Amino acid sequence: MTKNEFLREIETVVEAAPGSLTGEESLAKLPGWDSMAAIGFIAMVDSRLGVVVNPADLAACKTVADLVALAGDRVQD
Amino acid sequence: MASARISGVRLTGLAAAVPSSVRGVEDLAGWMGEADAAKVAKETGVRERRVAPSRTCTSDLCQAAARALLAAAPPKTVDVLVFVSQTPDYFLPATSALLQHRLGLARGCAAFDVNLGCSGYVYGLWIAASIVAAGGARVALVLSGDTITRFLDAGDRSTVPLFGDAGTATLLEADATAAPMVFHLSTDGAGGNHLVVPGGAFRHGFGAPADDGAKTPSTLHMNGPEIFAFTLREVPPLVGDTLDLAGWGAEEPDAFVCHQANRFILEFLRRKIGIAADRFVIGLERYGNTSSASIPLAMVTELGDRLRGQRLKLLLAGFGVGLSWGGAAVEAGPLVVPPLMEIDAA
Repeated sequence: MTKNEFLREIETVVEAAPGSLTGEESLAKLPGWDSMAAIGFIAMVDSRLGVVVNPADLAACKTVADLVALAGDRVQD
Repeated sequence: MASARISGVRLTGLAAAVPSSVRGVEDLAGWMGEADAAKVAKETGVRERRVAPSRTCTSDLCQAAARALLAAAPPKTVDVLVFVSQTPDYFLPATSALLQHRLGLARGCAAFDVNLGCSGYVYGLWIAASIVAAGGARVALVLSGDTITRFLDAGDRSTVPLFGDAGTATLLEADATAAPMVFHLSTDGAGGNHLVVPGGAFRHGFGAPADDGAKTPSTLHMNGPEIFAFTLREVPPLVGDTLDLAGWGAEEPDAFVCHQANRFILEFLRRKIGIAADRFVIGLERYGNTSSASIPLAMVTELGDRLRGQRLKLLLAGFGVGLSWGGAAVEAGPLVVPPLMEIDAA
């Protein structure tokens, strides 16, 4: 999956407008990022990439780019 | 992983009771706003919850369920009573002992409590069936339930919209012709802090603040992402292993009854495991997540009519607090299943 495709998936999770996320956004300031969205993100990564995100690593994320980094080499630039 | 194949024991009856007091989405809207309340209800799949009045205990709900069941299917005796709950009447004595007396059971009845939640019903069946199969009892009564709403922080948006209260009763009896029951059981206490009531007992004393300082001492703290990740890791293999041990194909169970955690988790699990929607029970819309009661409550409300008239192959899976998880493959029915009872204040 490309980074752009992954960002579009995150937009769906947080109910953000398509194409609105670039990666630089702070999760703390991102409307729609809450505990249920975190669960939705784990579900999305599991179903799209086949891995279960470590929730402790997820809790340490500060930005959307950090979420992308969690996917490792499964997401390409 | 602990596992067992138990012969000579049959489920003969099942009953459930809930408080008559209903909390709906409109109650949530009063403090979180209509839009958020609707969003939460859509995500969790919970539109109503039953909430026990302050003086009503889990034992009162289980007692009502047991009385209805014992009246409808009176056994000669009850030899062992297992009370599965995280919400007892007292630290001591064991609530099971009080229920032995309140139900008028003989003094020759063994009775003990089991402190488990989401996996508790499967564990309760395993314990009771093992005792009966070993010849220690002819008839076992498993009372499984919780009044978890009593543990909730009234302002916690992650728990209040989700949890409800219920009590259940299940009868098992010795029967040499019964199909084998299969159980798979596991534990990972490393995740114990992800679903916990930190205060109110002996580790932190009575009235001491929780470690995170943000919660009142004796309220339920749930780390939703950790519990969800645990569920994704453990439940699909649990279902597969339980089917394998039973010798059942994936298409063989008439119904899969998982712990009714929330609709999002259940639907995600259903798709991940590959279970057809018409064989996957979701029964939390009107009752919420009722912890140790959720599996038998869903069996009563969603499968009661079928269980009264026919034999069903059931795949049960409980998972959560502990962390603890267990699967069971059982053939049940025709069963005595009294109608769901609604209980006013005890």
